[in-house]
Amino acid sequence: MSEYIELHARSAFSFLEGASVPEQLIAACAAHEMPAMALLDRDGVYGAARFHLAAKKTGIKAHIGAEITVKVQRPMSNVQCRSQDFGQSVITIPVLARNRTGYQNLCRLITVMKLRVPKYAKPGECAVTTAELAAHADGLICLTGGGDGPLAGDWETRGRGDKEKMQGIADWLVDTFGKGNVYAELQRHFTRHEEVRNQAVIDLARRHRLPLLATNGVCYASLFQREIADVFTCLRNHVRLENAGRLLAGNSETYLKPPGTMIEIFADLPEAIANTLELSSRLEFTLEDLGYEFPKYPVPAGQTMASFLRQRTDEGARLRYTGRNGSPTYEGARQQIERELKLIEKLKLEGYFLIVWDIIQFCRREGILVQGRGSAANSAVCYSLGITAVDPVGMELLFERFLSEERGEWPDIDLDLPSGDQRERAIQYVYQRYGKLGAAMTANVITYRGRSAAREVGKVLGFEEETLSRLSGLVHTWEWKDPNDSTERQFREAGLDLRDQRIKKFFQLYQAVLDLPRHLGQHSGGLVICQDQLDSVVPLEQAAMPGRVVVQWDKEDCADMGIVKVDLLGLGMMAVLEDSIKLIRDAYREEVDLAHLPPDDPLVYAALQKADTIGMFQVESRAQMSCLPRLRPQRFYDIVVQVAIIRPGPIVGNMVHPFLKRRQGREPVVYPHPLLEPVLKRTLGVPLFQEQLLKMAMICAGFSGGEAEELRRAFGFKRSEARMKDVEVKLRQGMARNGITGKAQDEIVQSITSFALYGFPESHAASFALLAYASAYLKCNYLAAFTAAILNNQPMGFYQPFTLIKDAQRHGLKIRPIDVTRSDWLCTIETDDPETRGHGEAGTRGSGDGGKRGHGEGEKRGHGEAETRNGEESPSHPISVSPFPRVPPSPCPRVSVSPHLPIPVSPSLVLRLGLRYVKGLSEQSGKAIEAARRKNPFASIDDFYQRVPELRKDELRKLAAVGALNFIQPSQRPKAKDPTPKSEKGTNRRDALWQIARVARPAGSLFADLHEADAGSPLLPMTLPERMDADFRGTGLTIGRHPVALYREELIKLDVTRAIDIRELRNGRAVRVAGWVIVRQRPGTAKGFFFLTLEDETGVANVIVTPQLFARYRLVLVDHPFLLIEGALQHQDNVVSVKAKTVRPLSFQVMAAQSHDFH
Amino acid sequence: MFACVHGQAIPPNVSLKEFAYGFSPLVEETALNTVVIDVEGCELLFGSAYGLANEIAKRASEPTTAGGLGCKVNVALAKNPDAAIYAAHFFTGITFISPGEELTCLGELPIERLRVTSNVTLAPNSQAKDSPSSKSLNVGHLSLEGREVEEILETLRLWGIRTFREFAALPLAPVSERFGQAGVKLHQLASGKIDRNLKLTQAAPRFESSIELDHPISQLEPLSFLLARLLNQICANLHAYALATNEVSLSLKLENGAVHERRLSLPQPMRDPRVFLRLLLLDTEMHPPGSAVLAITIKCEPVKPRVLQSGLFIPLAPEPEKLELTLARLTKLLGSDNVGSPEILNTHRPDAFQVKRFTLNLKKTKKNRQSAIGNRQSLQGFRVYRPPLRALVQTPRGIPTELSAWGQNRSVHGKVVSVSGPWRTTGNWWRSDRWARDEWDVAIENHSISPGGERGHALYRIYRELGDGSWFVEGTYD
Repeated sequence: MSEYIELHARSAFSFLEGASVPEQLIAACAAHEMPAMALLDRDGVYGAARFHLAAKKTGIKAHIGAEITVKVQRPMSNVQCRSQDFGQSVITIPVLARNRTGYQNLCRLITVMKLRVPKYAKPGECAVTTAELAAHADGLICLTGGGDGPLAGDWETRGRGDKEKMQGIADWLVDTFGKGNVYAELQRHFTRHEEVRNQAVIDLARRHRLPLLATNGVCYASLFQREIADVFTCLRNHVRLENAGRLLAGNSETYLKPPGTMIEIFADLPEAIANTLELSSRLEFTLEDLGYEFPKYPVPAGQTMASFLRQRTDEGARLRYTGRNGSPTYEGARQQIERELKLIEKLKLEGYFLIVWDIIQFCRREGILVQGRGSAANSAVCYSLGITAVDPVGMELLFERFLSEERGEWPDIDLDLPSGDQRERAIQYVYQRYGKLGAAMTANVITYRGRSAAREVGKVLGFEEETLSRLSGLVHTWEWKDPNDSTERQFREAGLDLRDQRIKKFFQLYQAVLDLPRHLGQHSGGLVICQDQLDSVVPLEQAAMPGRVVVQWDKEDCADMGIVKVDLLGLGMMAVLEDSIKLIRDAYREEVDLAHLPPDDPLVYAALQKADTIGMFQVESRAQMSCLPRLRPQRFYDIVVQVAIIRPGPIVGNMVHPFLKRRQGREPVVYPHPLLEPVLKRTLGVPLFQEQLLKMAMICAGFSGGEAEELRRAFGFKRSEARMKDVEVKLRQGMARNGITGKAQDEIVQSITSFALYGFPESHAASFALLAYASAYLKCNYLAAFTAAILNNQPMGFYQPFTLIKDAQRHGLKIRPIDVTRSDWLCTIETDDPETRGHGEAGTRGSGDGGKRGHGEGEKRGHGEAETRNGEESPSHPISVSPFPRVPPSPCPRVSVSPHLPIPVSPSLVLRLGLRYVKGLSEQSGKAIEAARRKNPFASIDDFYQRVPELRKDELRKLAAVGALNFIQPSQRPKAKDPTPKSEKGTNRRDALWQIARVARPAGSLFADLHEADAGSPLLPMTLPERMDADFRGTGLTIGRHPVALYREELIKLDVTRAIDIRELRNGRAVRVAGWVIVRQRPGTAKGFFFLTLEDETGVANVIVTPQLFARYRLVLVDHPFLLIEGALQHQDNVVSVKAKTVRPLSFQVMAAQSHDFH
Repeated sequence: MFACVHGQAIPPNVSLKEFAYGFSPLVEETALNTVVIDVEGCELLFGSAYGLANEIAKRASEPTTAGGLGCKVNVALAKNPDAAIYAAHFFTGITFISPGEELTCLGELPIERLRVTSNVTLAPNSQAKDSPSSKSLNVGHLSLEGREVEEILETLRLWGIRTFREFAALPLAPVSERFGQAGVKLHQLASGKIDRNLKLTQAAPRFESSIELDHPISQLEPLSFLLARLLNQICANLHAYALATNEVSLSLKLENGAVHERRLSLPQPMRDPRVFLRLLLLDTEMHPPGSAVLAITIKCEPVKPRVLQSGLFIPLAPEPEKLELTLARLTKLLGSDNVGSPEILNTHRPDAFQVKRFTLNLKKTKKNRQSAIGNRQSLQGFRVYRPPLRALVQTPRGIPTELSAWGQNRSVHGKVVSVSGPWRTTGNWWRSDRWARDEWDVAIENHSISPGGERGHALYRIYRELGDGSWFVEGTYD
């Protein structure tokens, strides 16, 4: 039994004031056989949850406290305080939570402090007052601290202090915290000044009968981490190590010392050591006793939460389970719902479900699209309440994946909302409903990573800028890492010698700081709720975003501490769907209900089978596009499989190819064991989903649902060897009991264990598949609206706006240029009337590029036809996204589609680019243009400039350069010398530029009405390449010809095949393709292969680059915008790609938009 | 006519301006590597303006020792200085622009080259934080706002105007309406039609004096006479320009072919020849030349003289000249490393200090002298042994019990009667000169007996290097 307990330690969660994570402190504590330890981070309990969990695992008692910054008046006005002068205005008081009241007071105290100031408050601003401290002192034990404690005074710096002041402060502390709750803390780090102070403190303690307490003021777990602490000190003070001088620690003594050492150091004061045990025994509180309760949902009088939930579920179930269109009947689903409700009641989770239901109700009332995703889609209750859109009964999804009694964890419901304002409205509703102190976002702990860590450590070590760039450049950001890439090799190649002392030190420190907390961010959507008392569970603080409050723990910590959360996640595609519906309503005069989409739209399946999926949710990536023609989706469930199959799990587990081969009939469908046939039948004997893994364990080894989920977690992200071994033994024993032994057993164990890490839940895939189907449906049937919506929600998805526009144009959509007389801030849809058609130099230019693809203008279906089709009662099951959707049961009827079915485009509707695409134009100016135009059309450029005073000169120039002013009719005003009106003539960009240069130049009032003698411009109109250049510079896209089309003649001479034509070539043929690189990818699962997507005026071509070739052409491949690739054509199962053999950069003199690189 | 000389690779130690003065006194230093010479009338000396240009190019390529620049230069002759500047910047060799043919010659230059300025050529679309685009530019010696020029050039680019010729072809009135005076000036520059006077620069006064001797001098006394003569000249010159100096350089050409060079840096600007003479003589005594002197050169760096009058309440201090002389005498006696004031370094390393040059602090200090007296406390003095005494220390149980140390002048022996410590310092872990040591304060029984008959104690600070475990006595407490 240890005779000393460390009761004053900081972790790295004191942000730059501690150098070890809580787990390291606990590991050191366990190594020293200390039975308990206390963590006191600076103004927070950021590391407390991790500290507690780590301690729990090792059987150590984790005491929780914090170092509180207190601002004191000088002189003190508080009558209770006998001290007249603290000698300093801000002091740090270490406190420990004695009981739950103490902990709650501590959390409230910190919340008061943090919510008062903005997120990035200056040091010293963020502090509590003495009155606030006194008000929250109950249940807290106060230590007098070390060098920055209340008794420090001038002892530390000058070696002398004022004993009278010390006495006054001690009296005040005793008054505040109560007799017996103040300990005179002694730290011994072998410095003279500290010992002088210690003697004064001992003297004070003896006179005031304060108990002495030995601590070591720990800042790091082990001796060598002093270096990290010094680096952090430099980062905090913005100095280099060389200049830090006395800011650095004088020695390395603030590590966690073994009890024996501490006893030796305090050999003259045995009571100070003994008191650590005594105080530890007084500290009853641990985070086990957190006292968190999920808020109760207010229900009408006479109801309980359980009865209210039952009623709501029942209502929903009756609406959803109609038995029509292949969906299960209410009675069929009733059993499952009842089972779930019983468990929910048993676990007292009714409030949670009702709160989420309430959020859904709010969204529905406000017309905000919302859909639950993740494991919640496994619950029939969630489906009945309208939280999710996937029917788990019809799809035979496993409820235990969502909730089980054995697991003892709260369920996790994720809601997808349209990103942007709509999501913010939902979040603000939760704040409003549960009070400012009742709901908060979970935190996101930002850690030192990659380049920024390298740069900061390098700066502290004093490297010059050039070396810093080289060093930070060494931190590879590409996802794939060559296994031969050793650090030594990387350094050597960059011309840096690891034998050099400084470089070596840099490398050591860089590795040491990696993953240490840097600051607290905000999680993208995690909300924790605890009606009006969250601040007594965990301190709250301001987020960087105004109006947001975050808790001091991250998502994982909250989950580990049993705090239930709701994720309100912003999904760009939801916003696109919502905007599309509005646009369709306005432009097509149709009402699209996402809950009632026809499930078997042949256009959707034709597009999917052709991999014509640019812009579609989840199925637009290069990998998805290369898989789609092989999988050839023919029904909704195929889309579910498609969404799930291109994931690390199936790829790493080598399940993609067997599945595709079986689907194509090239391989027989076999099962690891006949018992598994019902589970794996839908996926042709290949496990693709996490639910299948759970069911396999349940069937083969007789696991309960909860045990199976436990198995998944054991092999999941937080895997530990011991836990995996235990579960595997249990799994094998279970299988042996069921007579599954030998090879079959090994095969099943292998597939379960390898898959658990990266698997995708079927429910989640189904939720995403619904969105994928909806996006595909809207793209295929309402291209103009879908394209406008996706352009208005950029950045999102896989492709840049330029690619989305070119794709839409290839599908026959006419796109009109930006025009201040017509464009709004956002992209809009216009009717293609002849009056407006004449506008613009590029308005209709682009549509012909893809004419040879087979879905040219002649094959378009008219607007009226689409209307009829959508107006019809669909004979099949509708696909729904929200609310109260109906989903086809499995198996769905297959849809037979013609492989060349074109996407219909209404010829009378065109897309007008919005002003938001003018780079450098503020939204305020864009909206002002819109408003001014609504009042009256612009008579001239002069008139335009006068009526939109918000416009800056450079904004005006940008508008003119992209042709947005071309359509303002020249002034009709008679001139002084020429009374006849000037005939109307078209304006080109140069004319506009010429005119705005005069208009925008301030003239005195004397000359305000003076008109130019000759308004004609002497400038030549822009040539095509000039216009293209101006378009890319000014908007990042062009609706005119594709840049590659300008060089087609040269490319033909180089024997380059167009992207559209390579589909006609046979497999294995040597081919040359050229184009603009729109996507670069080097995924971690691709063993070093590099993938490029080249675009030309006819479409896209996929290129595969081997790791060897990548190493050879690295710079060209990574940096150059236009490439010519020569290689062998791979044409299998309608998937066409080029396996590169040589790579050449093309020096096209056109500006191109940035590619989308995934690294 | 004007000749512009522009060199890309002019050595840093050579002045193009000085070189240009060899041809005409009417020189404008447009940039460090560009000068414009008014060559009106020079044809009388060099035959023709073209002959002058040839001569400039020829002489420039001669080595610096022969009065050349040691590099090739571009020379351009034109009727106006700015046309000559553009031609010299962008055409290699010699360019002659006949009057009225400016646009023929410069017309095809890219419009961005209008940006050529006095000493900087802006990168197009420069995004650098300290981009000169925000500064005032001296385009053809027309003071224009850099941002304004950049804006005009950006507009011209959007207009599709790529060359000087295309810009010049635009009618002037609309250009004026759109760009104002700045645009008009740039338009004139592009047309090669701007006339202006040169901004002439005067040769800077030189504060240097030399003498070559018929007979070598090997004695200090005759040398002092010569030094005094040279210094008197220089100081008179400084006086005439109302300047002083804080750096005096002495260069002695010696009989053995070597050159003996010394440089005196002064904390305050001065111009008293007697002080300089004393300082130089003291320095020469400390650092005598290795051989007899054949030639003497003294050079001073001119600076503004110091303000003599200071506040009424500033305490009296020695005159800077006298102080310098005193310090020079002390330095001669003690060596240069042993004179100055100690300065404590910002580090935890024990006894870390450096000796810095002694200077008078004439600035007002905020220290309240009265309160300093009131707050005086008794502090224990500590005498540091330099170097520390190597020691043998008995440490049963890790605590010193007996000490034995010795040095050249003193030794310490005895039993430790009381001890406090260890006081541990470690640092500089990222460098090779890291340190780690434990200090102890020990009381050792003294042989002397106090008036009360008790044996006295002596207090020492001892320390142990943690690297090698060796012990030292650092000093004693008073």
